[in-house]
Formats: sequence, C-alpha cells, structure tokens
Amino acid sequence: MSTALTASAPYRTSFWRTFWTNAVMAPRTSLGFMRVDFVLGTVFVIPLTQMVFFAFVVQLGGGGAAKVAYTAIGNAVATVTYSSVFSVCQTTDSEKQQGTMEHLLVSPANRLALYFGRGLIPILISLGTVAVGLLYAALLFGVVIPPSSIPALVVSVVLTGFAMVGFGLLLGGVALYLRTSIILGNIFLFVGLLLSGVNFPLSSLPLPLQWAGDLLPLTWGVAAIRSALAGDSIATLGLLWAAVALAAALSFGLAIGLWKYFEQRALATGSIARF
Amino acid sequence: MAAAPAQYSRGRSTVAAFRLSVLQFLADPQWLVPSMIAPVIFALVSFELFRVAGPYFLTYAILGAGMMSMWGQTLYGSGWATGQDREFGTLEPTIQAPTPYLYVVLGRVLWNVLSGLIGGLIVYLVILVVAGGPPTVTDPLGFALLFVFIMVTLASVGVVFAAFYVYTRYAGFIQNIGEFAFYIGTGCMFPVVLLPFFTNPISLLFPPTWGLDALRYLSIPGYRGFEWGFWGDLLGAVATTTAYLGFAGMVFYRVERHVLEEGNLSEY
Repeated sequence: MSTALTASAPYRTSFWRTFWTNAVMAPRTSLGFMRVDFVLGTVFVIPLTQMVFFAFVVQLGGGGAAKVAYTAIGNAVATVTYSSVFSVCQTTDSEKQQGTMEHLLVSPANRLALYFGRGLIPILISLGTVAVGLLYAALLFGVVIPPSSIPALVVSVVLTGFAMVGFGLLLGGVALYLRTSIILGNIFLFVGLLLSGVNFPLSSLPLPLQWAGDLLPLTWGVAAIRSALAGDSIATLGLLWAAVALAAALSFGLAIGLWKYFEQRALATGSIARF
Repeated sequence: MAAAPAQYSRGRSTVAAFRLSVLQFLADPQWLVPSMIAPVIFALVSFELFRVAGPYFLTYAILGAGMMSMWGQTLYGSGWATGQDREFGTLEPTIQAPTPYLYVVLGRVLWNVLSGLIGGLIVYLVILVVAGGPPTVTDPLGFALLFVFIMVTLASVGVVFAAFYVYTRYAGFIQNIGEFAFYIGTGCMFPVVLLPFFTNPISLLFPPTWGLDALRYLSIPGYRGFEWGFWGDLLGAVATTTAYLGFAGMVFYRVERHVLEEGNLSEY
C-alpha cells in the first residue's frame, strides 16, 4: 500500500472509466435540464405540443392532410434539439458556474472519452424523443410508417441523434468564449424549424438560407428520416446517411478541437475567467 | 421619544420594483433574446405557411408571434420574479417589509410585459421586412387600445403565476415544458375554436384567450372566433382579468400569513 502511494509511477487514466463516469455524472451535474420531470416532459410532452401547434398552423393556412403529415414528421424529428442541443451546450456554462472548469482543464482525463461520455445520455434521450414523436405522428397526424421502412428509419434516427448531440457539444465549445450559452442554445433550439426543412421544403427559402440550412445536421437528419419513411432506395439513403455521419464527425471533431484550443489559451494566459 | 411609524407607499414600491427590473435588464439586455428568438422564428415559419392563404394571414402571423413574445416573457419573467428572491435569499425579508409583496411582484411583472412588448415590436419589424409592407388593419386606434388591454390581461396572468411559483418547485418545468401548451391553449397563432371543443373551457380560463379573440375580431374582416363575438370576448377578458387579480391578491395574502406563521418560505 505504502509502495503504491510513494511510487513515482505515472497515474494512468482509463478511457472507459472517464467515459462511464461522465456518462453517469454529467446528467446530474453539467448537462442542463436533466431532472426526471424535464426528461419526461422533453420526451412525451414537447413533441406532442410542438406537433399540434404546427399542425393547426398548417390547417389554418389551408394545408391539407399531406401537408399536416409533412409538418408532423419534421417536428417529430426537430424536437430532438431540446435534449441534444439545448441541454448539451450548457455543459460549459455549468462548469464555469460551479467552478469546476479549472479542475477539468488540468485533469489528465481523455478528452474523447469525456466528450462521448457526456453525450451518451442525451443521445439516448434524443432517440426516445424522436421515437415518441414519430409514434405521435403515426397515431394522431395520419403519417404512415410502413413496417419495411423501420430498419432504415432506425438507422436514420440513431445517426441523427449522434449528429445532433455532436452539434450540441460543438455549441458548448463555442460557448466557452461567451458569457452564457443560453442565447446560443435558444437560437439553435428553434432555427432548424425555419432552415432545416421541418415545416416546408428547404427549396422554398432564398438560396443563402438554403446554404445556411445545409450546414445544420438537423437538415440532413430530417431528410434521411423522410427518405426512410418514403421507402427510398438504399443508394439514396446511403448518401443521406453519409451526410448525417459526416455532420456528426465534423461536430464532434470541431468540439474537441475547440476545447483543445481553449485549453492551450488557458495555459498560455493563465486565465480561463476572461470570456 | 417615540419612533415615527414607518411610512410606505404601495405605488412607490411598485415603481421601485419596476425600476430595479429595468436596471437589471439594462445591465444584461441579452435576456430579451431567448424570449424573442422563438417568436421571430415561429412568425417566419407561419408567414411561409400562410403565404398563399390571403392578405389577412399576415396579421395572424404578426399578432400570433407578438403574443408569443409577450407570453414567453410573462411566463419566464414571472417565474423569475419570485425565483430571484428565493435564489438571492431576499424572499423572506421582502415579504416582511411593510409593503404587501403583491405590489413588489406587480412592478416586476409590469416590466416583463413591457419588455415582451419590445420583443413583439421586434417581431413586427422582422415580419414587416420579410413581407415587404405592413398588414392591413381596419381599425388601427381600436387595435392599439385593445393591444394595451391585452398587456394588462397578460400582467394579471403573470401575477397569478408569480404567486403560484412561490409554492412550487416546478416553475422551470411549467415555463419550459408548458410553453407550447400555453401558445396552443390561448390561440396565439390560430383561433381556439379550431381546437377540439372539450379544450375550449380550459382555454377560456386564461384572460389572453378572450383578449386575443377580440383583437382578431377587430382586425380581421370575416374572422370566425367564439360565437359570442367581439363584445362578448371583451366582457370575458375584463371579467377573467379581474378574477385573476383578485385571486392573486388572495394568494399573496396567504403567502404573507404563511411567512408569519412558519418564519420561512424555504419549505415548499
């Protein structure tokens, strides 16, 4: 025992221990809105109310059953932003407020494990949110989900969940330089409703807005899920899946890159309090 | 020498609470943004969805989004009105002060509604730019007067929420999870009569539902809302607003009694 304490062997961090510790602890500490009542509300209440809201707006605007179904699918997927973007991007705010950012930056924890670990529960909640949303779409808004489309749908939903949580982590990285992440979280919580083909096809927007929409992972996730429901060929789906996977990889990569850059700046300036 | 009795004025307390809210807002005005982003985006989405549905649907989009902005600010601001006291540890001292707590909260809620109006104006300007012109309003003066009255109805709801939030840990849940439900229930973007009939009595419990229906009767020719029409809506709005303010007074009186009996408001 005493040998273990006095020996100069370097402290070894375990990838999986960091991963699991973050997966279990982050919902209780740094992720926003992870109380049980909030999670249940996010999964069961928000998809329903958001879909009902836009379904009635479409109905008032003279849209028929097909347009209502289109909107219902889009919003079923878009509600994923609550758990994946809004909640996840608040991790940096929480770390700053709780005074744990300094400790985190000097810890030898593997950053990849830390990030993926923090994303685990939001990914699971995101999958649950989209699944419940699609169930509401089928039961209440006349959306037909053919049994043959379910495998492709599952792949699309899982990829979308990963991509969106990666995007949330990326925003959390950007929020390192802001006074608060709430504003960023609020912008990206809803901007997808306009730019991601959730309520109407992206093609009806001006070209610059279409380009902006193409930069959002939600756009590709919604397209992949619509394509899966339409029973499109694997070639078409494959391209969309590749786009969603690319968005996920880019988001996670950029998030980790931002953290690394922030760490270097913190070491160079000796301060992380200036933002 | 006997100490002079403490002098206080309810009106001065309300003005002071209002002023403090304004100063806090000016110190960090970014907090207008969260309550404004959703309405602006919803207005743009609705504008796109209503584009082919006729000229008066522009009024729907603007009115709805403006209401959502004010609703959002009322919902969040009222929760914060008591939440901040609890967080700062000033709830008990404020309630122990000679001025009834209701008048302190009223000042904060009035600012919330006013800042919601600022958000609503920004929404209006955004839609104005996108649509390329203002919507057609048949009676601008009546519209403006009724709009101010709707702010009063929202303030009354805000005061009741603030009173209710003293006793619940679920203020954040109601604000965040219930946001869309309030938008739907009070018919922000579409008439409440479109909703299933059994939901109508619930909607009618909220003063803004009546006020908004009246506003649409006034500004949209051929509008079909509640069958009792404009004057019925107006009467309902006045009655429910009065009931809300009376109810809020009762709840705050009970809160004050509770503090005197228990000595704290930490257990809730």
